[in-house]
Amino acid sequence: MTNHSSPDWKAFLLRFETLLIAVLLAEIFIFSQTAENFTTTGNALEIIRLSVELGLLALVMTPIILTGGIDLSVGSLLGLCAISFGKLWRDAGLPPWLAALCTLLIGAAAGGLNAALITRLKLPPLIVTLGSFSLFRGLAEAITRGVDNFTGFPASFLFLGQGYLFGVIPAQLPILVLAAIGIWLLIHRTTFGRSFRAIGFSPDGTRYAGIPVDRRVALVYILSGVFSALAALIYVARVGQAKADAGTGYELLAITAVVLGGTSIFGGIGTVHGTLLGLAVLAVLRNGLTLSDMPSELAGILTGVLLLSVLAGEALTKALSRLRKPAGAKSVAPTSQPKPQT
Amino acid sequence: MKKLLTALLSVSVVLGAAGTGNAADKPLTIAMMPKSKGNAYFISCRKGAEQAAKELGVKLLWDGPTEPDPAKQNEIVETWITRGVDVIAVSVENREGLSTALRKAKDKGIKIITWDADAEPDARDFLINQATPEGIGYTLMDEAAKALGDKGEFAIITSSLTAANQNEWIKNIKQRLEEKYPDIKLAALRPCDDLKDKAFSEATAILNSNPNVKVLMAVCSPAVPGAAEAVKQSGRKDVKVVGLGLPNENKRYVHDGITTGVILWNTEDLGYLTVYAAKAVADGTLKPGATTLEAGRLGSLEVKGDNVLLGKPFIFVKDNIDQFNF
Amino acid sequence: MKRYFREWSVFVAFLAILLLLAFRAPDFFKPAQLLSMLCDAVPVLIAACGMTLVIICRQIDISIGSQFALCSVFAGLAASNGWPMPLVGIVAVLCGAIMGAFNGALVAFLGIPSIVVTLATMVTWREALRWWREGEFVSNLPDTFQWFGLGQQAGQFTIIAIAVLLFLFLAFALKHISAGRFVYAVGSDKEAARLAGIHPQKVTFAVFVLMGALTGLAALLNAVRFPDVDPKAGQGLELKAIAAAVVGGVAISGGRGYLWGVAAGVLLLSSIAPALVFLHLQPQWEKALQGLIILLAVAADGWRSVRKKL
Repeated sequence: MTNHSSPDWKAFLLRFETLLIAVLLAEIFIFSQTAENFTTTGNALEIIRLSVELGLLALVMTPIILTGGIDLSVGSLLGLCAISFGKLWRDAGLPPWLAALCTLLIGAAAGGLNAALITRLKLPPLIVTLGSFSLFRGLAEAITRGVDNFTGFPASFLFLGQGYLFGVIPAQLPILVLAAIGIWLLIHRTTFGRSFRAIGFSPDGTRYAGIPVDRRVALVYILSGVFSALAALIYVARVGQAKADAGTGYELLAITAVVLGGTSIFGGIGTVHGTLLGLAVLAVLRNGLTLSDMPSELAGILTGVLLLSVLAGEALTKALSRLRKPAGAKSVAPTSQPKPQT
Repeated sequence: MKKLLTALLSVSVVLGAAGTGNAADKPLTIAMMPKSKGNAYFISCRKGAEQAAKELGVKLLWDGPTEPDPAKQNEIVETWITRGVDVIAVSVENREGLSTALRKAKDKGIKIITWDADAEPDARDFLINQATPEGIGYTLMDEAAKALGDKGEFAIITSSLTAANQNEWIKNIKQRLEEKYPDIKLAALRPCDDLKDKAFSEATAILNSNPNVKVLMAVCSPAVPGAAEAVKQSGRKDVKVVGLGLPNENKRYVHDGITTGVILWNTEDLGYLTVYAAKAVADGTLKPGATTLEAGRLGSLEVKGDNVLLGKPFIFVKDNIDQFNF
Repeated sequence: MKRYFREWSVFVAFLAILLLLAFRAPDFFKPAQLLSMLCDAVPVLIAACGMTLVIICRQIDISIGSQFALCSVFAGLAASNGWPMPLVGIVAVLCGAIMGAFNGALVAFLGIPSIVVTLATMVTWREALRWWREGEFVSNLPDTFQWFGLGQQAGQFTIIAIAVLLFLFLAFALKHISAGRFVYAVGSDKEAARLAGIHPQKVTFAVFVLMGALTGLAALLNAVRFPDVDPKAGQGLELKAIAAAVVGGVAISGGRGYLWGVAAGVLLLSSIAPALVFLHLQPQWEKALQGLIILLAVAADGWRSVRKKL
C-alpha cells in the first residue's frame, strides 16, 4: 500500500475498509433473511453482471479522483458512444467489431478533449467535465434528433451483454475482471500509477520531482473516455438498443462507489479494492431491496444515507484519533486536507 | 481483491443455508411495473391494480424506475427473474430494449403481459390494450383538427425527445395529419422533459414566436395543464389546448374553455384489468384462442388475438369531466 | 475594463443573441414574452447568487434542485392548509435554510467534502420526495397563492422586483459588508482568514444556510406563478446555477467572483432555449449549446491565464 504515509494513516485506512466489509456483510445477512433467492450463485452472478458498466466507470474514476480531479462526463459519453456505435453499424454499414473499435476511438477522442482542456489550459476538471457532460449528451441527442433508436444488432454482438459462458458465467464478467486487475496493477504496482496519488497530494511538488504530471493526467482522462466507450458497448449489448439517453446518471453512481470505497475526493488517498468494495455495497443494496419487494426509491435514499454515514463516521474517527494523539506529536502526512483540485 | 470476492461468496453461501424458507403455498405473485413512478397517471393505475389484487387475494409487487436511466426497467425485470415471480406486467418504456429482458423471463417460465405501452409481440403473452398508439394518435389529431376548424397551424409539446411512447403517438399523429388534413400544418415540436413548468415556458415561447398557432397539443400529462396555463396567462382567447392527461389536473382549464378535449381512458380500470388478466394468464384461464376475459367489476371484456381490449380512448370535455376524480 | 473583461464579454455575447433575435424574430421582444422569460430566469438568478457565494468559498452544492422541489411542495401544502401567504413564504425559506444547515454542518464542522455531502443529500431528498408524492401535484391552492393574489401583471412585476432587489442587496453586501468580505477571505486562503480572526467554519456553514434559504425563496417565486405545484420542479437547477456562475466569471478555485457577471451568465444561458424556439431551430441543440458555452467561457479563462504565464 502507501509507503509515504505515517502509521496513523495506514491504521486508519485499514479500519475504513473493514468498515466497508462489515457493511457489505450486514447487507448480505439482512437480505438473506428478507429477500427471495438472494443467496444463490445465480443471483450473485446477476448482481455482478448488471454492475459491469458501472464497474468500468467506477474503476476508471478511481485514478482520476486520486489525482485530485473528477470526470462528470462519463455517463453522457456512454450515451454518445452508444449511439455512435449504433450509427456506425446501421448507417455506415460497418461490421460490429469494426464499429466497436471506432467507438473506442471516439471515446478516446472525447476523453482527449477533456484532457486537453484540463492539462493544456489548466482548467478545473469539475467545470470542464460539467461542460462536456452537457455537450456530449447534447451531441448524442442532436445526432439522433432524440428519436433515433438503433436496434436489431446481430446475436453474435448481443452475446457480449446477454450471453453466458459455459451457461453460467455472464459474458461481460471477464471484461470487468480484466479491467479491475489492470487498473489495480496500474495504480498499486507501477510507479506510473503510484504517481497519481502524489499528483493528488501536490501536483506542483510532483512536477518538481520530475514527473510529467500533465501527460499522466491527460492519459487518465483519455482512459476514462475509452472505458466509457467500452461500457457503452456492453450496455448496448445487454439492453439490445442504443439510444441517446443511455447512461443517464451513471457518473454520480460511479463517483458514489469510488467515494464510498474510501477514495478521498481531494485526491491522494484511495484504493482500487476500496472502489470495488464500494461498488459491491451499492450493487448488493439495490439488488437486495428489489428482491425484498422494496420500492426503488428506498435504494436511492439508503444510498445517500449510507454515503453520509460512512463519511461522517470516517470524519468523526479522524477527529477522535487526532484528539487522542499526545500534544506536540507530528505525523508525516499533513493533518489538513490538501487544496481541493476540483 | 479477487480473494475478497471469493470470501464474500463463500460467506454468502454459508448464510444461504440459513436463508429464506419457502412457504408451502404462496399466494400468486404479480410483479407490476409502470414506466416511471413519479407520475400521477400511474398512481391511479396503481390504485385500480391494488383494488384488484385485494379482490383476488394475490400478492402485488409494484416497482419501477425513479431514475431517468432507460435501462432501469431491464434491471428490475432481471432482478424479478431472480426473485421468481409468477407474472410480470409492465408498461414498456423502451420497446426493443426491454423485450430482451422479457424474453429471458418468458424462457424461465414467467408469464408476461404488457399494459399501457407494448413490448415486441413475441416477448409477451398478452397486451392489455386501452387504446392502440394508432387510436391515440388519430384521436389526438382529430381533436386538434376539430378545434382548428380543419385548417391552420398547431404545435406539439412532448415529454422528452427520446420517450418511446410519445414518439409512437407522434408518428401516428403525423400520419393522420398527412392523410386527412392537408390544410393543417405542424409548426413546432418541443420537449418539456415531463415537467409542467417547462411545458409552460415552451408553450409561451411557441405562442409568441408562432402567432398562427391556434392549437397546442400536449402529449404527456404534465404538459396539458402547463400549456393551458400558458394560454391563460397569455390572455389569448383564440388558442386552444388538446392533450393526453388526467381529468383532475385539467378541470379548471376545461371549464375555462381553454382546453377543449382531454383524451385518456379510465386509468384505474386499466390497472384493475391488468391484475385480473395477470391472474388469468397465470392460472391458465387466459390463453391463446380465448375470446373473452372475466374481469371482476368490469364484467366480460373482449379478447382479440393477443390483445385484451379495455375500450376506446375516452375524451373528457366540459360536460363530463366533473364525474371523474383522478 | 480589462479587469472585468470576462464579465463584459458574457454580457456582449448575450447582446449578440438579442441582436440576432431582433433581426430574425422580433416577436421575442413582445412584453408578454419578455416578462415570461424574466420570470423564468428569476429562480435561476437567485440560486446562482447563492451558488456564487458557495463557490467563492471553494465549496459546491449540487443538492439545490432537490431542495427547490421540497420547498415548493411544503409551501404548496402550507397554502392548501389555509396558512396566510407571508407564513407560506417563511415556510419555503425556512425549509431551504434547514436543508442548507444540514449540508453546512456536515461540510463545515465534520470536514466532509461538499461535493460528496451534497451528492448524497441530493439523491436522498429527491428520492424521499418521489416516494412521498409519487409525482402528484399539490392542488387546491387558495386564490391568494397564485401571484400572491395580486393578479398576473402585478404578480410578475412583483416577482421580478423581489429578485432584482435581492440581487442588488447581495451584490452590495458581498462587497461592502464585512460578512461579505469574509466569504472572499475564506475562499482565498482559509489559514490566513483564520489568523485574521475570521472563523472559516462558521462562514462556510452560514454560506450553505444562505444557499438553502435562497433556494427556498427561488422555489416560492417560481411556485406562485402557477395554480398548482409540480413536485418535479427545480430539476437541473444546480447545473444551471453552477453554469451561470462559472460562465459569469466565478472562479471554481475560489476567491473570485462578481455577482453582476453571474447575472450576465444567467441571462445568456436562459436565453438559449427560447432563442431556439424563435429561430425555429431543433430543440435538441439546447444541451449541446449550453455545454459549448460553458467550455468556451472556461477555456477563454484558461487561455488567457496560460498566455499570461508565457
